[in-house]
Amino acid sequence: MSSVDAERPARDAPEASGSPGGSAPAPGGLAGLDLRDLLKPAIIAVLLLFVLVGLPQLFTLYYIDASTQVAVYAIVALGLGLLVGRVGMVSLGQAAVLSLGAWVAARLLFGTGLPFEVVLLASGVITMVLGTLVGLPALRLSGLYLALITLMLAGAITVVLATTNFPNGGHGFLGYNGNSVHIPPIRRPGIATTDPAFFRYSVIVAVIMFLLVLVHLRGKPGRAWVSIRQSESAALAAGINTTMYKLWAFALASFITGVAGGLLAGADKYLYSINFQTQDSITLLAVVLMGGVFSMWGAIIAAILMQFFPALLQNLGVSPDWLTILFGVGVLQVLATAPAGIVEQFPKDMARLYRLITRGRRRADPSVEASS
Amino acid sequence: MPSWEDFQPFIVTGLALGGVYALSGVGMVVLYRATGVLYLAFGAVGAFGALISWQLINSSHLNQWLAYLICVLFAGVVTLLYGMVFGPVLARRDPLVKATATLGLTLILLGAMDLLWPSSGGQSRAITLPTDNSGFMVGQVQVTWTDVIGLAVGVVMTAVTGAFLRFTKLGTTMRAMANDREITATLGVPVRRVEAAAWFGCGILSGIAGILLGDLVALDPTTLTFLVISSLAAALIARLRSITLTFLAAIVIGLVDSCITPIQSLTNYRDMTPFVLAAIGLLWVNRHRTISVTRQGV
Amino acid sequence: MIEVSDLTVKFGGVTSLDDMSVTFESGTCGLIGPNGAGKTTFFNVLSGFVRPASGSIKAFGDDLLRMAHFRRARWGLRRTFQTEQAIEELSIYDNVAMIHEHSRLGRATRRQDVLGAIELVGIQSDPETKVRTLGAGERRLVEVARALVGRPKAVLLDEPAAGLPDEETAHLGEVIRHIPEHTGAMVILVDHDMSLVSSCCTVTSVLDFGKLIASGPTGEVLRDQRVVQAYLGGEAATAAEARAGGRGAGGGGSAIGEASTATEDGA
Repeated sequence: MSSVDAERPARDAPEASGSPGGSAPAPGGLAGLDLRDLLKPAIIAVLLLFVLVGLPQLFTLYYIDASTQVAVYAIVALGLGLLVGRVGMVSLGQAAVLSLGAWVAARLLFGTGLPFEVVLLASGVITMVLGTLVGLPALRLSGLYLALITLMLAGAITVVLATTNFPNGGHGFLGYNGNSVHIPPIRRPGIATTDPAFFRYSVIVAVIMFLLVLVHLRGKPGRAWVSIRQSESAALAAGINTTMYKLWAFALASFITGVAGGLLAGADKYLYSINFQTQDSITLLAVVLMGGVFSMWGAIIAAILMQFFPALLQNLGVSPDWLTILFGVGVLQVLATAPAGIVEQFPKDMARLYRLITRGRRRADPSVEASS
Repeated sequence: MPSWEDFQPFIVTGLALGGVYALSGVGMVVLYRATGVLYLAFGAVGAFGALISWQLINSSHLNQWLAYLICVLFAGVVTLLYGMVFGPVLARRDPLVKATATLGLTLILLGAMDLLWPSSGGQSRAITLPTDNSGFMVGQVQVTWTDVIGLAVGVVMTAVTGAFLRFTKLGTTMRAMANDREITATLGVPVRRVEAAAWFGCGILSGIAGILLGDLVALDPTTLTFLVISSLAAALIARLRSITLTFLAAIVIGLVDSCITPIQSLTNYRDMTPFVLAAIGLLWVNRHRTISVTRQGV
Repeated sequence: MIEVSDLTVKFGGVTSLDDMSVTFESGTCGLIGPNGAGKTTFFNVLSGFVRPASGSIKAFGDDLLRMAHFRRARWGLRRTFQTEQAIEELSIYDNVAMIHEHSRLGRATRRQDVLGAIELVGIQSDPETKVRTLGAGERRLVEVARALVGRPKAVLLDEPAAGLPDEETAHLGEVIRHIPEHTGAMVILVDHDMSLVSSCCTVTSVLDFGKLIASGPTGEVLRDQRVVQAYLGGEAATAAEARAGGRGAGGGGSAIGEASTATEDGA
């Protein structure tokens, strides 16, 4: 599966270029440096503008809803990508974390009059706390066992959810009223009650989450994560508290997933536990692997695969189960062809394209390497 | 709190299920020891086979034993094919990567099953073994021959596998390979053939488990696929090592899971049992690890 | 000064370190021994990756074993690995700055300290270069530079010259020799290259099968019969001795030098 991360590799992929004190100017390449630095943000700005303004005009409500789901799941995919790509931890339970966030948000939205933004923050924080609590004992497990325990915990949450259900305006801690005939919808923020408006709202929240992660990646945690990924012993020998940084990744991923859960509550308006299955966590991992764990664009692609394509297919009368099969094949392909690990899997043609684009820059400064 | 009499039928079911979980768990442990692959698609493959049998019996009116045989062979062949194609490709990778790859197979099978056998509301499929209808009484409780088979396959498989691994040439080879595939290969051992045997054997077991669970539990793709978690839990508690421990853990899981059913306050949460037990097992077994200095992650 | 007392490490049935007691005073100390002798295990105990079954280590007055592994770097324990572990995706600068970043050393001096360490080891490439693009020799230098930043107390070098061509080994030797005077840290050097060991280390200790079999001034230790035997075994040792004797005394011509070269050549 290709990911549109042509220029991403060197910029925000595994490295963090924020060395304190500023970077040494590339000799003779000053002009090239400025242009390239401006080009990427410009492209992103244009794309964002199009998505916010253009899409709602172009799409029918059906597809706008699907797009809102894409925004939500892009955040979740970002979190999972962070865990898998940066820290090397595979979580098979992110869908359960999402459902936790959605549950908290629904409860707060029904039970309190708090503004939507505060609720988002609260679901993010509460999910983060729970995620970290879980992460703490789980972190001493490595690789396979860690993945399995996330599967187990997610499964347990799924079962509990099937019994407690999502809040629907009832009273008590669980806020679930099993007898009510008329179930109120979950409320949305005042400024974004219509579907197109809520879509824009979700995109903006997503952008904020992406920026939050970006800030981490460019700074000290990002560098620490890169080190831990390559060699935990080297990281420890350099004084990095690997447990703390792993927990930090867990916490960050849980936080943004919790916020995404809040968005989901507002998007769906009615939450049913049947929509949060163990299989979804596996599908999520599949699309994140296919989209590319190492780039933020990959998260968006993953979300499109998981949420937009099924809607598209359904509209065309094709069963979305074909996609499930595709995702399975995708997982196998990604894992089988990744040379030294998923983290180094960049689509080869994209990398070549990138090298072509930067060939000019490289001629000016031979020490800058176009990554592949 | 239910009485002893109330528990009895659940104990019977629990033992039967535990036996099948043991069968599956042992299969997964042996395969893991021989290839380093934790075969998470075990349940899905068995489910697919069971559904094929159902289709053959109900639509083509094929003789049921033939249909079950086809299921078992199908599961064996699919597993073998997967192992022969993706085994060598991923041979050097981390166990995590190998296990994740089997999740890919799981998704393919799940998607295919949902396509071929959609759960159109109301129509429920079932596998009814002839042994469901005959049995005997143990005190107050009705025990069907299917229940007996369930427990029996678990016991037999554990014993046979244990003996196989210890006493036969193929078995000791598998144990050697569990230690180091490369070195075993240099000793002139036909590694690929041994692996093929392990894969095929595991597949056969998944087919058998698929039919039994399809009968004892439900013939539903998702349910059957994720029932693998119970066997997985048993295997993990046994640290993916001891066959005997896998058997014991599986029986306990089956019993606990089943016996929770009549307890009103807990019954809704009974599906949590394998998850919770597995999580506890994983954490308990790894409690001494200080640093997980893993190789490069995924 | 690092005082090791009765250190024992067991892995399952194998005793990797057997009741090891030795004191590393100051300056550059060598630690040699045949493959599997336990040298890297010893470093791993110092780093905190392996828990000893018994024994204690007192480093500069502090109980090292009580410290959490990641705190030891902050404390002043630095280390390089057998297969060099410079982080590929980071730049030279970011690699070397790692310890500085994760300890309480002030931000103000960071740039200066890092560039100073880079210069000390003699890295030619621009500090912003990604380590991934560097050759083996320079990567090793990055690893060493990383170990020297801040205020190191003890620098553990695990076969730093392994796989490097002669001139890079020579350069590395130069760097190692100057570590104590430039940083005030002591060095423990593990290597199979006996000329490197004799030229850098004033004292040397020898491990064989987890046991300490000799310790003292490098020249004497390298000529010690027991040490030669450990590398080669009985008669071969005598033969090596004879060869070395014929060539004359001195660092490179020691019996142990012969023995070590012989084992390296796959004897």
